[in-house]
Amino acid sequence: MQMKQFCEDFGESFTGFKVPAGFRNGSKELWLDKYTPSSLADLCVHKKKVEEVKVWFEDRISTKKDEHCNHVLLITGQSGVGKSATVHAVASHLGATVCEWNTPTPTIWQEHIHTTNSGLRYMSKLDEFENFVEKIRKYGLIPSSLTREQQKPFIILIDDLPVINGKVSYSRLQCCLHLLVQSVRIPTVILITDYSREDTSDYTSRCWEDLQTFLQSAGACKVSFNPITVNSIAKTLSKICKGEKLRITADQIDVIAKASGGDIRHAITSLQYFCLKSGSIEKRSHKIDYLEDGCSLPFGRDETLSLFHALGKFLHNKRDTENSTASDTESLLIKEDFARLPMKMDAPERVLSQAHGQARPIADFLQENVLDFVHEEAMDDAWVATSYLSDADTLLASLTGVQYKTYVAENIIQSTAASVAVRGVMFGNRHPLSSRWHAIRRPMLWQVDQSLWRNKREMVGQRTAAYNGVNLSDVSIIATEWNPALKWLGPRAFDENNGSISGQIVHNEGYDSMEIDDDDEIEDW
Amino acid sequence: MLWVDKYRPKTLDKVIIHQDVAQNLKKLVTEQDCPHLLFYGPSGSGKKTLIMALLRQMFGASAEKVKVENKNWKVDAGSRTIDLELTTLSSTHHVELNPSDAGFQDRYVVQEIIKEMAKNRPIDTKGKKGFKVLVLNEVDKLSREAQHSLRRTMEKYSASCRLILCCDSSSKVTEAVRSRCLNVRISAPKEDEIVKVLEFIGKKEGLQLPPGFAARIAEKSNRSLRRAILSFETCRVQQYPFTNNQVIPPMDWEEYIFEIASDIMKEQSPKRLFQVRGKLYELLVNCIPPEIVLKRLLYELLKKLDFELKHEVCHWAAYYEHRMRLGQKAIFHIEAFVAKFMSIYKGFLIATFG
Repeated sequence: MQMKQFCEDFGESFTGFKVPAGFRNGSKELWLDKYTPSSLADLCVHKKKVEEVKVWFEDRISTKKDEHCNHVLLITGQSGVGKSATVHAVASHLGATVCEWNTPTPTIWQEHIHTTNSGLRYMSKLDEFENFVEKIRKYGLIPSSLTREQQKPFIILIDDLPVINGKVSYSRLQCCLHLLVQSVRIPTVILITDYSREDTSDYTSRCWEDLQTFLQSAGACKVSFNPITVNSIAKTLSKICKGEKLRITADQIDVIAKASGGDIRHAITSLQYFCLKSGSIEKRSHKIDYLEDGCSLPFGRDETLSLFHALGKFLHNKRDTENSTASDTESLLIKEDFARLPMKMDAPERVLSQAHGQARPIADFLQENVLDFVHEEAMDDAWVATSYLSDADTLLASLTGVQYKTYVAENIIQSTAASVAVRGVMFGNRHPLSSRWHAIRRPMLWQVDQSLWRNKREMVGQRTAAYNGVNLSDVSIIATEWNPALKWLGPRAFDENNGSISGQIVHNEGYDSMEIDDDDEIEDW
Repeated sequence: MLWVDKYRPKTLDKVIIHQDVAQNLKKLVTEQDCPHLLFYGPSGSGKKTLIMALLRQMFGASAEKVKVENKNWKVDAGSRTIDLELTTLSSTHHVELNPSDAGFQDRYVVQEIIKEMAKNRPIDTKGKKGFKVLVLNEVDKLSREAQHSLRRTMEKYSASCRLILCCDSSSKVTEAVRSRCLNVRISAPKEDEIVKVLEFIGKKEGLQLPPGFAARIAEKSNRSLRRAILSFETCRVQQYPFTNNQVIPPMDWEEYIFEIASDIMKEQSPKRLFQVRGKLYELLVNCIPPEIVLKRLLYELLKKLDFELKHEVCHWAAYYEHRMRLGQKAIFHIEAFVAKFMSIYKGFLIATFG
């Protein structure tokens, strides 16, 4: 009883919080909604891609239904590159109606218990999706409310596929999509968001990739959207500014555009947020120039990179072909030997922080792989690179054994070592091999360390035997003198000591967590 | 039993090499006032043999009745307890261990374990308070922190416990520890001394030694008596009666380093460097200490090298050996040395032959 009372109270008080109607007037509307592109011209997606989508729709809509074997278009791309906006804009351009598969609201556990108690059967999102597909296949789209505009073509938009976890649901979804692709007679668009590569360790997102290839093989046509270029984002932003009658300099727009990482939705939201503070815009305008790197802007997406992507950047060591004029103005004169062309990427430290690289694995990976990227003839380069790696190792070693009171000192050493390793490798590799495909290997060192440790333990066991049991001898002596001699003398000399070491490197399973999957190999970019 | 063990002198009177040191030690012990001792000298010079003989001198034959134990220790280090496993060898009078086995936790070993041992002080039959001897091997491999705590432990428990430290080079032992010990330098035996020992063994075994044969083994042994005796025995196994042109079997890892060196001399390229790295790994996996690898590699390289390059190459070898001590992963530094050598040598080849 009390509970109910409380609920009522809560409901009452909740109505008190009702948003004032006047609040949502035009000027306060989210710019995202306000400036949703309605025509093809408004889209800031690359023209070619829009054209591609448009042509596809035109083909499907104009021709008779049975001529084409597939009616499914798969659009992939990062989040915020305007996938659904494009579909909507194209549809309105062609005068078609978009029917979305509305994802049902997720059921929360309490709800689920409630409904099962009341006798209703729980339907998973996947079930519902299956039903939906079934319906479409069998009957096409005949919602009663839409009958009056019969002449208008339909487009089905499936924005988010049901979430899958586990093999069973994956295969169900796959099967369901297969049926859809095979039999649907209405142009259908499936949107799949590419998550950044980092998340590929996650099973689900890997499934999405599999699904994409599966859909393609089933006959779906795939268009992948690239992140929107800084220029077109800036263009859109300035259009909005004009519409809102805001005075924002081109530089500022540029910074926002750059910080958005090709995500137009994010860029617009950032712009609105930025303009909220427009009172202080004068003050921060010089600051923005200073914070050009976008690391510490109050807005902007955190760009993340996978470790392998970052390593690839370092190892490929792409540089501009000639010195830009900007660096000439620097008064610092460097000897020709030490001068390098400007890097074609962000500062290595920034890349490192984006990849969340730890100094030790970074150094290990670089050590393992750097020689593959050095030119055949360039022995000096190889030396410089290895020598810097040796420096980095020395720095890292200063960490062990000492327990720092604060993490600050440790952090500084860590990041210095990482920086030395990365910059050293990049500095050393003056004549990188022309870009071709390289796989990045897992450091052999880890395996070696493990088997070394095992062999050492084994030898510690043999140690007492060496002095006939009256003395302990050093492991190094056993390794360098006893064992080789015993190999010659044979086991008869020394019965207890027949477990001579094997020369092979033990392949241990202990590093499974660090194992790199084959599909994580980096390609050339 | 191997000859090395069979003909190891059991008492200080019987030693052939370092007789003077042995006699001094004997005097030292008989006067009942034994300080802490630090034995140092290259491997194969007889440090362990002397220590064992010394222990026998101090405690009689009971010092040789030892048992090997794998002991687990729980060390309370402030907020957490650390589990350590260590092999010890102990008799009623002495305990021997290699604290550096504990890796970077070696300082706990030194602090806690020694303390614990020092506590249970043995009382000998006459009711006199005796002392226990603690033999610590490979002191030079102890970390700086461990050596510091060693110093304190030495002072604190010097009444009940004598330390005998043993290491290859005293330069890696801190000044503080060195000054608290009587330093005993055991030099590597001279070649004619080795020959003397080999002839002694030959006589005992009833072998015919062709003239100059023992000298050849001694020459090959790098002034390590242990190695000389071991290869003497291998020669005996391989071919007897001895002939003067008989091959003295080399150590396999030395062969391997020789191979690496000739690889390096043949081609200098990043690709070759990569192959060399693989071979170096092979050595390291088999527990050949990286310092020895580097040293031997330098030795092999110098043999084939032009005179004017020797100085520079040695410089870089020293540089990277130092780096290796400071560093963590030896391969980084050895590889850097090989790369440097390749780059120097390649430059030299281009300069001379165009």
